[in-house]
Amino acid sequence: MFVASGRLKRGVFLLIMLFLPLSCFAMDAPDTITIDALASFYEPVQFDHELHVGIAEDCSACHHHTTGTGTNNSHCARCHSNEEEQDLVSCQDCHQADSFTAQALSAKSEKNLYHVDATGLKGAYHQNCIGCHQDMDGPSGCTDCHARTEEGDKFFYSGQFAPPAGEGSSH
Amino acid sequence: MKLLAENGIKPLDAGQRKDGKKWNLIEKLILGLTLDQYISQVIRNKFNWILAGIMAIGIPFIIYRFIFGLGSVTHSSYDYPWGLFLGFGLFCMVPLSASGFMLGTTVEIFGRHDFEPIERLALLNGLLGYLFAVVYLLVDLGQPWRLAYPMVYSFGPAAVLFLVGWHVATYLSVQVAEVSTAFFEWIGWPNAKKFIRKGTIGLTVSGIILSTLHQGALGALFVYAPGKVHPLWYSASFQWIHFFVSSIPGGLCMVIAVSTIVMKTMSWRCDDRFKDNIDDITLKLAKGASMGLITYLVIKLIAVAHDNEWVYLASGWGFWWLIEILGGVVTPLVLFAYGLHHRLVRLVRIGAFITIAGIVLNRLNTALITFNWKLYQEIPHISEIIISITIFAIYITTYRFILNRLPILYAWKAQPQEATVTETAAAREGQKTSEVPAGA
Amino acid sequence: MCKVSRRRFLAGGLAGGAAVMLAPAKKALAAGNLTGFPDGMGALVDLTRCVGCRSCEAACNREQNLPAPDQSFDDYSVFDQVKHGQKRRPSENAYTVVNRYESQSSDKPVYRKMQCNHCNEPACLTSCFVGAYTKTAEGAVTYNDKVCVGCRNCMVACPFNVPAYSYSDPINPMIKKCIFCYDSRVKHGMPPACVETCPTQALMFGKRDDLLKIARARIDREPGKYVDHIYGETEVGGTSWLYLSGVPFEDAGFDTSLQKEPIINNVKDFLGTVPMVLAIWPALFTGFHLLATKGKDHHEDSHADEEGEES
Repeated sequence: MFVASGRLKRGVFLLIMLFLPLSCFAMDAPDTITIDALASFYEPVQFDHELHVGIAEDCSACHHHTTGTGTNNSHCARCHSNEEEQDLVSCQDCHQADSFTAQALSAKSEKNLYHVDATGLKGAYHQNCIGCHQDMDGPSGCTDCHARTEEGDKFFYSGQFAPPAGEGSSH
Repeated sequence: MKLLAENGIKPLDAGQRKDGKKWNLIEKLILGLTLDQYISQVIRNKFNWILAGIMAIGIPFIIYRFIFGLGSVTHSSYDYPWGLFLGFGLFCMVPLSASGFMLGTTVEIFGRHDFEPIERLALLNGLLGYLFAVVYLLVDLGQPWRLAYPMVYSFGPAAVLFLVGWHVATYLSVQVAEVSTAFFEWIGWPNAKKFIRKGTIGLTVSGIILSTLHQGALGALFVYAPGKVHPLWYSASFQWIHFFVSSIPGGLCMVIAVSTIVMKTMSWRCDDRFKDNIDDITLKLAKGASMGLITYLVIKLIAVAHDNEWVYLASGWGFWWLIEILGGVVTPLVLFAYGLHHRLVRLVRIGAFITIAGIVLNRLNTALITFNWKLYQEIPHISEIIISITIFAIYITTYRFILNRLPILYAWKAQPQEATVTETAAAREGQKTSEVPAGA
Repeated sequence: MCKVSRRRFLAGGLAGGAAVMLAPAKKALAAGNLTGFPDGMGALVDLTRCVGCRSCEAACNREQNLPAPDQSFDDYSVFDQVKHGQKRRPSENAYTVVNRYESQSSDKPVYRKMQCNHCNEPACLTSCFVGAYTKTAEGAVTYNDKVCVGCRNCMVACPFNVPAYSYSDPINPMIKKCIFCYDSRVKHGMPPACVETCPTQALMFGKRDDLLKIARARIDREPGKYVDHIYGETEVGGTSWLYLSGVPFEDAGFDTSLQKEPIINNVKDFLGTVPMVLAIWPALFTGFHLLATKGKDHHEDSHADEEGEES
């Protein structure tokens, strides 16, 4: 159960980068990244980038082909095999925080657009993380990564807002 | 009442007294008896007590349903949106009420006046069946006060139910008009009766149209649920014909059944024309019903063949289907065939009751029992059963109330010119009934 | 952004006003076979991405102002709930539910979100005799409780068993089902609450046509991962909500026996006979009457009539 979520009236994810990543190598990359979207439901996540750099085989495990290390995915490699390091490396540079706005949707109808199925930022994070977390026994429950706020508890009818125990009346 | 008849007291059957004075409305309502006589015969009748008992229990449930909502008397099932109220009340009552248009057509269109003694009973049976189908519907609808919406306010003409709604409503009016002749005789408005009689052919033909369509439409309603109704009871192409055709023996047998009950329990109310002809008419009706049944049997089998559903016959559902067909269609057919050949009216009457049970089983199977065959079976809530029985008791009460009064089973006499004749008739009736132990 | 009732569609009229928020207003002639409004929106559910977090349920609850649930939305014991041998289904208090399924084809459990699938030719709409349902140009199937009589034919007709009914309300019971967040969101170009909240983007919002292409591309790109079928592309005439699955669809609780044609097609045979009966029967039976009574005593009818009065 790995999840972050929220009402997201504007669906905005803010990714605050403490450092601009310049290289794939740990010394150039940020040590921690604060992910504080859905701030109303979840506490900001301190993403330990350094830790993940140590675990991941190489940068492309997460950064696809943008960090100059090529890509393992044969499908992507057809176009992105020997690319140099890109200027835009952070997730949100490609994965839109709000992928369902009218603009985003109409952009998808663009005939020549190849990456029509690019996921939004939140989806990209979770889809990227969840497989490894489950395989490597990393934290995989929602609140293992995201501490919920009071507002979040309210949203989920959890914690102090949990319905009283007992037989429900629903069908 | 039989007791009174034995004593030579004859119920009111003419517009005027023997002395030429007109009966007033109250006197007509209490059958021309004295109030004491009337009340004592009501109390003497044990069946009245049974009905009263059912209503005493059931009517509070109906009131409860309207105060606390459908959820309080049903399982509130999302998977079985239609329970017993519609499954029995609507889908069973309507085919059993096809008698109105069947006999109307026979007498008025085909000119078979030999059926006339029973025509009014058939018409009344139709009217009341529909009326109470609507009563069941009113209990079942979430917002019954909006019943007229599809007629006047918001239209969904592409829906089968739209058709059902319109046709049942108009047909109900047609039946009211058809039965009203009896009422006008009774109340003493000959001009109104003449007016209605003028339109008889029109009314009857519109009755046929409306019946053909909405009897079929009730079947077509289930065509919306291809995955839910078991394939043996479902036929996209023929469902409406199945429902229409089976309503024909359903209606005819209902008339046989009601006339049988009436002869047993209310023979004091039947005149000689009715009594003398009833056996003959019963046999003729059974002939019609057998033709309906055999046609129904054939088209049921065609439907199985058409959709190639033979494989289902080997399943438990198939066994159940065979029970319905063998028990509800083939058995009465055999009884009718034998009974008609040997003129065994009693056997034919038994066949009619079995036919009715078969039709009821078919409708219940389609609407409830095999519905959601892939999911689970649901047994209706006990309150639902109680309310359904109560409404049926009210139906029987209304039926008797009208039969007791209006000239349905007897011919109305405007003047007591044959006072002597009626007296002898009364005497004869008294003799007859005295032979039967007065159980009522 | 005007609503178009299906009735006008069926009548073969203009399917006008099919303006979705992105595209300029377009008018299109309704084809014989309706495959949905041009530019109608939809949602793609990718079961391989769903992790069963139930955030969509929570979001739906808040967006639609539904009553508090019996159990927290982060209580996963609901996946074990079974009633009448069935897993949870949408109800009057929950327009969407996620269920967990075990499949032989997958070592991980499969989660499936259920809600109204917003058919192109909805059975609920075509079975409604007061026209309470509308298929909007945006693809949503909405419901007007102001005209609903409460016959519940739509619940019988729905091939997905979606509509629920607030039986417990004696005064104003109504059908309760997902309306694609039409009033509050989709009408204004925003995705429905469940889609927006989905953390893994297992739910995707977009034009149905685009979603079909995306779904097809996902299958093509990872044929081993997906079953080669988009559930909802053709089922009962196509639905606005589409599903991709990594396990056989029946393993995830889908009814795979549904017909390809819209449910209304089953009824068309019968509806077609209606005007015929209306037109033919009067002449036919009046003819019978004349044939049957000609030459016979034509007075019998009136004779019987008078008999009652004279005798």
